[in-house]
Amino acid sequence: MVALAAALCLASGFALVSLGWSRRFPLGLDLLFRGALSIGFGLGVFSVVLFLCRVAGITNLMAADLLVFAMLVAALRLRTHRASATAPPASACERAEAWPFWFQRVVTASFAISLFAAVYAALRQAVAHPHGGGWDAFAIWNLHARFLAGPHWRDGFSPRIPWSHPDYPLLLPASVANFWTCLGGDNTAVPEIIGLAFTFTTVGILFAALRILRGRVSAMLGAMTLLATPAFVELGTWQYADVPLSFFLLGAVALLCLHDENSQPATAASSGLLLLAGVAAGFGAWTKNEGVLFLCALIVARQLAFRPIGRKNSATARNISFVRHSAPLLLGIAPLFLLIIYFKHRIAPPGDLFSDAKTMLGKLLQPARYWAVLKAYGKEFLRFGGWLAIPGTLLLAVLYFVAGRGDRHGLNPGSRGSALALILTVGGYFVIYLITPYEIYWHLRFSLGRLFLQLWPSTIFLFFLWLGSDNTLPDSK
Amino acid sequence: MPQLSESDRRSRCFTIGLMIFVLSCLLSSGRLLMHACNVQDPNQVERRSDGRFAALKAALPERGVIGYTGDAGASPGEYYLAQYALAPLVVEYSANHAWVVGNFHAGQLPPQTHDLQVVKDFGDGVILFANRDAR
Repeated sequence: MVALAAALCLASGFALVSLGWSRRFPLGLDLLFRGALSIGFGLGVFSVVLFLCRVAGITNLMAADLLVFAMLVAALRLRTHRASATAPPASACERAEAWPFWFQRVVTASFAISLFAAVYAALRQAVAHPHGGGWDAFAIWNLHARFLAGPHWRDGFSPRIPWSHPDYPLLLPASVANFWTCLGGDNTAVPEIIGLAFTFTTVGILFAALRILRGRVSAMLGAMTLLATPAFVELGTWQYADVPLSFFLLGAVALLCLHDENSQPATAASSGLLLLAGVAAGFGAWTKNEGVLFLCALIVARQLAFRPIGRKNSATARNISFVRHSAPLLLGIAPLFLLIIYFKHRIAPPGDLFSDAKTMLGKLLQPARYWAVLKAYGKEFLRFGGWLAIPGTLLLAVLYFVAGRGDRHGLNPGSRGSALALILTVGGYFVIYLITPYEIYWHLRFSLGRLFLQLWPSTIFLFFLWLGSDNTLPDSK
Repeated sequence: MPQLSESDRRSRCFTIGLMIFVLSCLLSSGRLLMHACNVQDPNQVERRSDGRFAALKAALPERGVIGYTGDAGASPGEYYLAQYALAPLVVEYSANHAWVVGNFHAGQLPPQTHDLQVVKDFGDGVILFANRDAR
């Protein structure tokens, strides 16, 4: 039964990803990218199915999972009759490596060592902590899953247990609960495997997207940066939702960059990647509240990145730009956004971060709070990730300066839009800390590092996208 | 000695920067391995939660709201672990319920209260109380 559920989950994710997949890449990369995305998307589908079944009072979950899979396959068959995949972008996969051969060998060996270390450490952690390695795993995510797995699932949203954050979105606990329901009882192996899967599929997406867009060495350097971030591997295996959120944020950013890199006139086929990016961003918002902030930032940033300039800034030009660059994205976001609105308004109690307007305004007018958040941002910038000796953020900053003149025009508007979305999200976190009802130092201490970690895979991806572009890479001989 | 061109100098700087980068990644991977080899107190959640409250859970109804009391000054984590073990029952941190879970350090006597009568001591500091004055 569990094998059938796992196969259904993966197949549903694969069918959903294939619905929007409009480019062909070399087989191995195509499978890696699509396979990694499929796992996260499949878990997203499973979580939505469980939630809707609970709301509708449907008890035969396996039948519902099967029905959704059949619908996805039917949609896929309909789509393949109407559109064929476009040719691969010429510059992408076959780009000649400009790096010296000895350096390629050093990077390959180092990547292999980092991968082995991360896999070994993750497995050890998962075995040692089957219920998760920290409070959030059992006090929030697995607790919610235990409620959702039973017929009295609404009890989990009781205001009597506000500390369990019953307003948090449900992707992670509902996907776990779907498996538990199919299994007929809770089993710690399910959240353990899901935690491991999100951790390493995030690395897989990072590697595959950079390999497609910038080549093998950039891909290994990027993946190695993430694998060597101790906090990322540990939080992933601790069954925290920050790593699944980082998976979906990276998925959205990578899909947008893949779409924009060889931008062609908008067609149904080329819009597929935008649609998938929207679904990824939507699943991110369905994973954690921070995902909602990123989703809004992404929409705003994309509008800014693709706004027509100069004399072209007419209403018609704006409309065409919107249809080409944002409409499919919004279409992908919409179903999950509606689901989140329903959940927040009809099921979940109010969240704990927002108080009345007067109190929040009062906090916004206190300069000491700005200084406290700024100081924490500065400290955490150098501390987060748990790196040994030199922080990863500092390493990237040093590479930025030694790489050359810092010609950021190497990134296309879409990638710049994604970078802007990350910056806006960090700004949004800043405002949330300013108005937090909790003691500000306590709140910063226990959450800021994890918030930065959510954006870390996307930051690494955009950094190596920039670093590996032809006009910034120094001639290596 | 031949003078390095600007391009060569930049290229050399960049390569050195990348090598430092790779070395730092390897060092951090080493730290990750060290952490993994020194796992502290494995599977403590199982011992402090499911394992500890299993007998009590079997004695309670499948659904409802029960109260909770514990050692004064104990970490809220002890209460979270009790809720995790007893879900899908809702465990509220209040003694104002007909049934109240007592969660005390083993060997420590629970505080004497007028309202709570011991129904059953499950051992290891886990006690089920009844509160007849609950409203």
